Amino acid sequence: MNLDGRRNVILVFIVLVIGIYIFRLFYMQVLDDTWTLRAQEIAEKRKEIFPPRGVIFDRNGKKIVTNQTYYNLMMVEDSIVDLDTAAFAKLIGWTPKEVRQRFKDIVDGEGTYYNKITGKRTPNYQKIRAYPFLKELTLEEMSKIAPHLANYKGFYEEATSARNYPFKCAANILGYLSEVTREEIEEDHFYKPSNNIGRAGIERFYEKELRGVKGIKYIVTSALNNAIESYADGKYDTTARQAEPLKMGMDVVLQAYGEQLMQKKKGCIVAIEPATGEILSMISAPSYDPNLLVGKRNISTNYPKLAVDPNLPLFPRPLQAEYPPGSIFKLVQSLIAMQEGVITANTGFPCDKSLVGCHNHPSARNIAEAIQYSCNPYYYMAVRRIIQQGVKKNNFADAEYGLSKWYRYIRSFGLGDVFETDVSGQRPGLIPNPAFYDKWYGHHAWAFSTIRSISIGQGEVKLTPLQMANIVAIIANKGWYYTPHFVRSIGHSGPKPEFKKRHWTMINYKYFDPVIEGMRRVVNEPGGTGKMARLDDILVCGKTGTVQNPHGEDHSVFFAFAPMHKPKIAVAVFVENAGWGGTWAAPITSLIIEKYLKGKVSDPDKEKRIIEAQIAYKSNN
Amino acid sequence: MRKEESLTENLDWPLFGAIITMLIMGLATVYSVAYNEEAPSLFDFSEKYGRQLFWIVFSLFLGLLVFLIDADIYRRFAVPIYISTLVLLVIVLFMPAVHGAHAWIGIGSFGVQPAEFAKISTSLLLAKYISGLTVKQQTTTTVLSASSILLIPMALILLQPDAGTFVVFTSFLFVMYREGLTFDPILLKFVNAIPGVRYKETWVGSHFIPILFALVFLSIITLLLDSVVFHLNLFGFALELSGSSGVIFGLLVIYLISWVLLQRFSTKRERSRMMVVLTLGLLLASVLSFTVDKGFGMLKPHQKDRIELFLGLREDPNGDDYNRNRAMAAVGSGGFLGKGYREASVSSVRSNHVPESETDFIFCPFAEEWGFVGVIVLFLLYLFVLFRIIIIAERQRSAFNRIYAYCVAMILFYHFAINIGMNIGFAPVIGIPLPFFSYGGSSMMSFSVMLFILLKLDAQRKDVLR
Repeated sequence: MNLDGRRNVILVFIVLVIGIYIFRLFYMQVLDDTWTLRAQEIAEKRKEIFPPRGVIFDRNGKKIVTNQTYYNLMMVEDSIVDLDTAAFAKLIGWTPKEVRQRFKDIVDGEGTYYNKITGKRTPNYQKIRAYPFLKELTLEEMSKIAPHLANYKGFYEEATSARNYPFKCAANILGYLSEVTREEIEEDHFYKPSNNIGRAGIERFYEKELRGVKGIKYIVTSALNNAIESYADGKYDTTARQAEPLKMGMDVVLQAYGEQLMQKKKGCIVAIEPATGEILSMISAPSYDPNLLVGKRNISTNYPKLAVDPNLPLFPRPLQAEYPPGSIFKLVQSLIAMQEGVITANTGFPCDKSLVGCHNHPSARNIAEAIQYSCNPYYYMAVRRIIQQGVKKNNFADAEYGLSKWYRYIRSFGLGDVFETDVSGQRPGLIPNPAFYDKWYGHHAWAFSTIRSISIGQGEVKLTPLQMANIVAIIANKGWYYTPHFVRSIGHSGPKPEFKKRHWTMINYKYFDPVIEGMRRVVNEPGGTGKMARLDDILVCGKTGTVQNPHGEDHSVFFAFAPMHKPKIAVAVFVENAGWGGTWAAPITSLIIEKYLKGKVSDPDKEKRIIEAQIAYKSNN
Repeated sequence: MRKEESLTENLDWPLFGAIITMLIMGLATVYSVAYNEEAPSLFDFSEKYGRQLFWIVFSLFLGLLVFLIDADIYRRFAVPIYISTLVLLVIVLFMPAVHGAHAWIGIGSFGVQPAEFAKISTSLLLAKYISGLTVKQQTTTTVLSASSILLIPMALILLQPDAGTFVVFTSFLFVMYREGLTFDPILLKFVNAIPGVRYKETWVGSHFIPILFALVFLSIITLLLDSVVFHLNLFGFALELSGSSGVIFGLLVIYLISWVLLQRFSTKRERSRMMVVLTLGLLLASVLSFTVDKGFGMLKPHQKDRIELFLGLREDPNGDDYNRNRAMAAVGSGGFLGKGYREASVSSVRSNHVPESETDFIFCPFAEEWGFVGVIVLFLLYLFVLFRIIIIAERQRSAFNRIYAYCVAMILFYHFAINIGMNIGFAPVIGIPLPFFSYGGSSMMSFSVMLFILLKLDAQRKDVLR
């Protein structure tokens, strides 16, 4: 038997094995990334350093949103030695059962890791890692626990930062932060579990601008998760950068004052600077302290309370309450009628109460008087001339033609849709166009008589308070507006380009003068409906409104801008269920204007009356 | 003096040089992996690299001693050496267990593993016994005697238990195969018991060992791939194969390739015979793979568990799977050029992600630091050593020397294959060191002694005319 062949069998065997190994290693080391990623997961901990969130200033440089240090009570299960659960529970003010449940929740909360290579599912939770046992304790709370922590091995304190709102106002504007959801983490890898994300308002809209740039520190860790050294001498590390501060157009003092005026009432105030479109204040009453929604614990205790409050504090009234605008709409109708040439500034109509109800006043001889008296029949007739211009022979077709024109005018006031701006949560309101009525009544089945209630701002027309405030700003500017917005500048960037674009209405500026004159008379002439808004040294132009409310007492509405010749502020005030516009909304408007322009109010009695009033507000106790 | 001349003249320098290179590479890796900033000196004997250096020097000294002794005594004293090792293997069973195994005999921190030296003594006795046989006159007794030379120490080692060394002992089967040891005498007894059958030899009997290995290998592969689903995309046909069908598919591919090769490179007469062998092989292998797959499915859960544990398919209390996962991550993250010397982030001792990264898993830090290029260098070095030993084996005039050389080659190869296999997911985690590389005195000494006996035998090959 020749055995020499068998030497070759062995040689081939050796070469074969080494060859297979080389292929395998080539695959593992060069082609396949899985193991590299796994190794990074194992050894190179990316320690992410989150910068404090960007701060926010008001228009006068007052810091309205800051960060405050809080403390987490961290826990490393492996380091815990003989935990006296009862004593520990007592220390943190829990029951032992709750403590045990918390341990379980931490483990469950971490989820599991699916290893594709071995096909096994292992829990992400690791006994050697640190997890927050209690989150967001104040210094005061921590100082009670910290001295005793030496007795509880495996527990330690760690500082973290959370939002703080020193002026305790503007919750509806600023929004709040809360923990990111799993979906958000998957969508944007910036976030890690237990990070916060802007949940509403400015915090949400400017989330990317406020969160800053996180720093990444690569460290090599041991199997016990202790940092050993910085990876590659920190070559790949980046430093965390706090975001540039946000400068808002809001006047925080005015905002706080408005919230004070509106306490124990429902409604809203929107104030805009006409020259810039910056929102000076936006009060949604009842308001609440934004600090109530800082941190997980606060949110979980306070949010449900706010949510079930019958006064609906969480409802963003300035943006989502869609009211029929009422008499305020008459200003717009006047402008459109003049621009269309169907009336002139000096056109007069008799106050014919058979057409539509009105209160007792002399017949208006011109636009200014019509506004001063807020004459319903006047606008019935004026708007009929807009809608039924007699261009088409068919009355229905004529109404369709007229309404289309009217619709285009109204749209040029920025009505009927949301503003493209940093104010989130707006509702569009409703401006009916021919298509709307066609759907309702059928094509060519409606005419002015059908839709007449829009002429006095009732019926189908719905506007949000923000849109109404913008109308005032347009009138103050005599024909144009900047998109209302909150943020004036991110760092030193200045306003966003879209906030610097002037929007022109289709109304010639000269038609604004009679309207403004009418508004002056409303406040400053005997017989004007808004005399409660009069100020001694500031010429206020205003217009009362009463929004019919089928569910109860009418809403009191007042619009104004001031001063007349160089408008600095345009205000819309709504007080729900407060009846006639002149009684409550007008004095509130005057106080806001005075406070903003002069920094103080001249009539403390008026202020006191307003602050103390409780209107349609359900007390909690 | 003649001896002093032979000391330098007849030493196989290529092999010696390769081994020294390997020792240096191993020491460098141990230094990297166990590096301690507070004791950076290589000569600090409180650190692992210091001790490793000591073991290397000590082992080379042992080698020198071996070299000074006349090689003839190994052949002459093979039996007493073997028996004393067996005694040690029995004694060790009564020693206190370290990490659950009765493997160490020693005082204090200094200890030896008799199993390491059992490899040498078994090699020697096997060489002596087989060299005394006439291959053509094999009987049942000779086969059984040769087998029991292996089986007795294997049984004792299994009692420790030391699965690694136990498996390494099967390397001697290759040596027996190489030397023409056939299991025919046993097989023929059964075959010829059938009336009318009268065989002088069977193909299965004479190739019993490689067939056995092929069977075991195929079964293990089938089991390893049992839970894997293959996704193949061939010319637009998407195929999903379960583990065993994947193996059968692989076999089919190998069969087709061999068929093409046969058509191309073999003579006509050989071809038909080889085709029969190939076809039969394919069929049998497929049946085996299929049977193993189904048979495994029918096992009781605890039996399955045990097999899965052994194969590292399941997380077990000792964390072997965890170790292997970590080890593979370390190896795989090395990339083409590696992370650089002393830059191993996963497998350094300090980070402790890969346990035993200076001993059984020494390949991890090496592959992580030097990458695929380093791995190729190391593999080529091993390939060179193994081939060199086989070349040395083949040039021996004495059968004893040749058999011993083959034993050394196969033991080294086994250690290499299993140790590296553990690191790349191809072998179960049974802790055996990488020869001349891993940290550890016992293995370093035994491998050195084993190798220097070979070098001495080779140096003296011209003296022996047997």
